[in-house]
Amino acid sequence: MSRALNAFIVACLTFIVYIVFTGSVSIYDLMTGFIVAVVTGVLFSNIALSNALKVIDPRRWYILVRYAIRYFIIDETLAHVDVIKRILHPRVPVNPAIVKVPYYAETDYAKTCIACSITNTPGTVVVEIDENERVFYIHWIDAKTLEPEKAREFISKVFEEYSKKIFD
Amino acid sequence: MKLVELVLLVTLILSIALLLTFAYMYLTPTSEIRNLAVFYLVTTYNPQLPFYTVNSPEAVTAIVWDYRGLDTLFETAVFYLALIAALALARKLYVEATPEFNKGNEGLSVIVKTVTKITSPMIIAVGASIGLHGHLTPGGGFQGGATIAVAPMIIIIVFSVLYLLTKRVTTEKMLLLRSLGLIGIGLTTISAFIIGLTAGRTTYVFQNMPKFDAPLGLPDKLNGVLISGTLWFFNLFEMLAVASGFTMAFIVLMLVKKEG
Repeated sequence: MSRALNAFIVACLTFIVYIVFTGSVSIYDLMTGFIVAVVTGVLFSNIALSNALKVIDPRRWYILVRYAIRYFIIDETLAHVDVIKRILHPRVPVNPAIVKVPYYAETDYAKTCIACSITNTPGTVVVEIDENERVFYIHWIDAKTLEPEKAREFISKVFEEYSKKIFD
Repeated sequence: MKLVELVLLVTLILSIALLLTFAYMYLTPTSEIRNLAVFYLVTTYNPQLPFYTVNSPEAVTAIVWDYRGLDTLFETAVFYLALIAALALARKLYVEATPEFNKGNEGLSVIVKTVTKITSPMIIAVGASIGLHGHLTPGGGFQGGATIAVAPMIIIIVFSVLYLLTKRVTTEKMLLLRSLGLIGIGLTTISAFIIGLTAGRTTYVFQNMPKFDAPLGLPDKLNGVLISGTLWFFNLFEMLAVASGFTMAFIVLMLVKKEG
């Protein structure tokens, strides 16, 4: 049952990508897209997902949309403005360092979401993840602190709160 | 030293400018179309010329699989002979079906693995779309199949080849799929010939649309959906054969060498 649901969700994703890439919705596209989606969904049902029930939870989708809006409008803009200031400043005030930042997320998807959120904002890049110690190693353009917990407050606290609600 | 650098830089820029000037003079495409191109453009999708047209709006696929289809068939044969030779050279050099070696911590970090899990089905969707629309838009079986083969290649690099084997993607299965694709291509080449044979009329090997002296051919539309006769089948089977052939080659290349 759970495998069928997994396959259905992967098939939906595949079907959407197929139709968007094709750029038309004739009967031929819908039919071939359906077949491709079913085959791919069955093939990837045990690879892409482990708990499909989370995908059909509307509360998680609601938080995801809220997070996306907040992330792309507020967090991205602030980070861009900060880095632009540093670039245009005549003395180029950077203080780079690689800091250790702990995370408390459980699932792979949550960890990936946090890491991608950190990397996608200018100024911070996740360079390594250590799953045994449960830490990210993050290159930070302006290392305000080297303390792991304090760095987490600056960098990934907000991302992690949302990611845990969406994926954990 | 500074002067030498400056002279070098100026010479470089001037020579590129000279090159671009001449290239612009000689390589500008003219607005005239050559007669050969006019023939293909007029006949590739033209229901008013029933014995000349391929009924495919994509002229490149029409040329590749219909006007010069025999050439493409031999190109396909060359590609698979090369693949067979590579596999023959690698035979008995690799071990396969050893999932117990797979500890689950090979490959890149969990971040890359998770992203690969989502993007792989998307890559396959894009590849299938390129292949299945080969008779309508730029692309085709080979391009689609090569795109699909990117998914197993990324999985091999990000996870490990043993991960692919534990998911039961083995060279035997890929060989089966590739053979099915090649058999499909072979059957498609003689499909019009078999139709003519059963109907007792003249038809040719590698025929697609009806011709003057062979009025039987493959349908250009199936249930109102344009498939351009053999082109759709060629693209489908070529996609299958290329995707599985490349996957098989990737698995063999990345497998651990057998010891001793």
